[in-house]
Amino acid sequence: MWSKFASWLRAVTRRSRMESEMDAELRFHIEAFAEDLVRSGVPHEEALRRARIEFGGVERAKEECRDARGVSFLENLFQDLRFGLRMLRKSPGFTAVAIITLALGIGANTAVFTVVNGVLLRAMPFPEADRLFLVSLAPQGGPFDWQPGVSDRDYLAFRDQDQTFERIASFTIGTTANMTDAGDPVQIPVAYVTTEFFPVLRTNPEIGRAFLAGEGEPGNENVVVLSNELWKERFSADSEVLGKTIRLDGVSRTVIGVMPPGFAFPDAKVWMPLAIHIDEHNSFTRPVVGRLRPGVAPQQAQAELETFSENLPLGPGENKRDRMPQIIPLKDLLVANIRPSLLVFAGAVAFVLLIACANVANLFLARAVGRGHEMALRSTLGAGRWRLVRQLLTESTLLSLSGGAAGILLAFWSVPALLALAPEGKIPRMEVIRMDGWVLAFTFGISVITGIFFGLAPSFQATRRNTRESLSQAGRSVTASHEGIRGMLTISEIALALILLTGAGLMLKSFLRLRAVNPGFSPSNVMTMTVDLPESTYRTAPQMRAFHERTLGELSRLPGVSASGAVNLLPLGERLTMGTFQVEGSQRPPGFMVDKPCISPGYFRAMGILLLRGREFTEADNETAPGVVVVSQSVARTLWPSEDPVGKRISMEDEPKPEDWLTVVGVVEDVKQKGLAKNSDPAIYQPYLQVSSSFFLSHMTFVVRTASRPESVAAAMRTVLRDVDKNQPISIASMDSLIATTTAETRFQVRLLATFALIALTLTIVGIYGVLAYSVAQRTPEIGVRMALGAQGADVLRMLLRKTLFLISLGIVIGGTGALALTRVLARFLFEVKPSDLPTFAMVTLALVSSALAASYVPIRRAMKVDPMVALRYE
Amino acid sequence: MDKQMELLQGTLDMLILKAVSLGPLHGYGILLRIQQISKDRLEIQQGSLYPALYRLEHQGWIASEWGESENKRKAKYYRLTAAGRRKLQTEAEKWNRMADLIEGILGTTAEEV
Repeated sequence: MWSKFASWLRAVTRRSRMESEMDAELRFHIEAFAEDLVRSGVPHEEALRRARIEFGGVERAKEECRDARGVSFLENLFQDLRFGLRMLRKSPGFTAVAIITLALGIGANTAVFTVVNGVLLRAMPFPEADRLFLVSLAPQGGPFDWQPGVSDRDYLAFRDQDQTFERIASFTIGTTANMTDAGDPVQIPVAYVTTEFFPVLRTNPEIGRAFLAGEGEPGNENVVVLSNELWKERFSADSEVLGKTIRLDGVSRTVIGVMPPGFAFPDAKVWMPLAIHIDEHNSFTRPVVGRLRPGVAPQQAQAELETFSENLPLGPGENKRDRMPQIIPLKDLLVANIRPSLLVFAGAVAFVLLIACANVANLFLARAVGRGHEMALRSTLGAGRWRLVRQLLTESTLLSLSGGAAGILLAFWSVPALLALAPEGKIPRMEVIRMDGWVLAFTFGISVITGIFFGLAPSFQATRRNTRESLSQAGRSVTASHEGIRGMLTISEIALALILLTGAGLMLKSFLRLRAVNPGFSPSNVMTMTVDLPESTYRTAPQMRAFHERTLGELSRLPGVSASGAVNLLPLGERLTMGTFQVEGSQRPPGFMVDKPCISPGYFRAMGILLLRGREFTEADNETAPGVVVVSQSVARTLWPSEDPVGKRISMEDEPKPEDWLTVVGVVEDVKQKGLAKNSDPAIYQPYLQVSSSFFLSHMTFVVRTASRPESVAAAMRTVLRDVDKNQPISIASMDSLIATTTAETRFQVRLLATFALIALTLTIVGIYGVLAYSVAQRTPEIGVRMALGAQGADVLRMLLRKTLFLISLGIVIGGTGALALTRVLARFLFEVKPSDLPTFAMVTLALVSSALAASYVPIRRAMKVDPMVALRYE
Repeated sequence: MDKQMELLQGTLDMLILKAVSLGPLHGYGILLRIQQISKDRLEIQQGSLYPALYRLEHQGWIASEWGESENKRKAKYYRLTAAGRRKLQTEAEKWNRMADLIEGILGTTAEEV
């Protein structure tokens, strides 16, 4: 073993010396042999000649010696590389086209993998993060994006009897608070966490301490831990920050710690202690994270949770099916919703690479024919077939690695572009997306695989040819088998492009459908401003109403504002309250729930919601006036299908007293509350002046309808808010832009898939053009003969067109079948479009066929113009 | 002179080991020695000698060094290593067993079956 290694090492390190020694040794042999011959009377020159002949092929012997020494692989590699580089330099056009094609394919894959790696693959930044799991009993499905979670009651019960976790912690996600007294008022993401939270994650504050047991209990809850980023941004990295107070939602809290840089889980800038008590009226469901005990597998935890769930008594109105016990990797909390999209992108971009491979393989094949003579010569001189294949594979890998290097540059530039294109807040863990060692390893890996993939078939083709025939024909020959492979490559290109185009087409159609949805209001020229009134400052409903009244008054007086109003649940916003109610004199259909927005007079006009019957609310519908409501059309239709709803009475109370009955005064159009892709919700509107619960009044969105561009009043609205309460963070957006954010994810998917599909289409067109142009060039003499024998341009056209159409239609059939099978993965992203939507299939097929025919126009025209005389002269 | 026989496949290595076991030799010398001990009845492809030498050296059965030849020229000399000696022995035994076996088979008469 050692001697082998030593000999190998010697061989590698002293390659040139070994080489000259080998020369010397063989020379010695031949000369000694010749001397012996001379001694036996043969003349000197003749002796040398005979000695050489007797010895046989010196070069072949040397080659075999190198092989025997075990070094040949590396040595050959160097040789192949040198030769390969020379060959690539010799045909710069070929090299450039191949590298650009590969750079596109590999670069796109690298970019998508960079995102996939950062979002899906990188470990969470905690010690032994793979031991962290979410405990969830929440059922999947329902109106919201699914969030894993456990209700407070179940959390406490599970915590007391659990055996598989070291510790578990509960925390809130997606909560915000207004921070004041530290620069401009601002809304920041916060998390309320139980005191076990930091120990479970095994991450401690860098400065100060984490929460102590008992913090979070009433009287003991006004402490806060800051993120490193917030500390730097708002406190200029003040080392004396501990013990200082910050105001969150108007409550002063003492800073006790600052987390290390990069710690933001679960996407928060501030952590506050949470104590969990069972509340008789409300049940909160929050995510729960636990660290598995050493040696415990997630399956054991799953089994334990299932048993727990099985034995848990059912709460009032609860069903067994309402619980879904699941132990989920912690990362899924952040990435579960984005994973399907990312996987679709990764699949789409892999198709692009396959098409790029097919194109380069075609280029390689074309070149291989040109090099047939060279190959034949080399094989006559003693190069084995495998040796030639390796030479060609080295060249293809050299190409693909260059393509990969260019691809990395491309990705370096396109990853930020990709992320910029992504809807804000929809891609989690953006901060950990970067090109790291894994990405480079991935790119290197796919480059090598790509090189071998597109190099293999052409190499075997190029080296399979009959040596003698090739040499005698001096390299000019048309081989049918090449045509076969090229045809297959073209067919697969068309098929792959068709699949991508279909996917992009379906997404585009879905997006257009979504955009065309009538939301039930008229969003253009509407500006919105949202506030969250902290209970510390606005303790009572009248205080809140006073704020709203004053703000509304100021807004309505702004120049350029034609109508103004306010609503607590903005349509297509993130908030939603659904509830039940009672109908006077009849029964509410079981399960019929409604949105219950509180609005100001003028809201319908400001939002452009059509009043169908009766009247709007007025300033007179206040606390002292009789209670009134406006219902949406679907409420009216459901409750009073054949009667006039105006004048009917309903109540929001479960057991209404006489004064709780509210009279319907008007009917308005239904509005899309939850999203454009969702059904319209039935809604019962109440005038905010008659609402006495601060829960319905603290969050309020003011809407104004403007005569011109809505952005023109933004500055004035900001001033109004600052005048009314300078501690309110300002959140202003036009209704159009809010709607755009709700469709942003779809738009992102459409753009990305369309980009990939266009790259695929371009590569395919280039590919088809290349194949046909090459084929015409090869067949020029044949065409010349045909024309000399009387064929017309039309006959040539028919001949070539038949071939092209054959390739295209086969590609379409295969691609169409593939698309039918594969676009099913898009079903969850599609709105009102079936994955097998026939018009889309027809459209993209038409587009592909016409571009393919356009691509073949030039070469076919060239073929038709072949001059038989010129063509035959070369024969 | 008897008619020359072609070398049986796989026996060249054994012959080389045997040749250098009698003392260090250069490549041409090995060729001559094999021809000499076979009384010129074996035909060896000269070109195939060197790959075999390199292979044997790579496997550690022979070692080489540069020395001076009979006619005062630099030549590469091969000698048997300890591992090579053991190899030669096992190969020779294997060969003999095989030869006996084949002889036995070929010598079988009808009565013996």
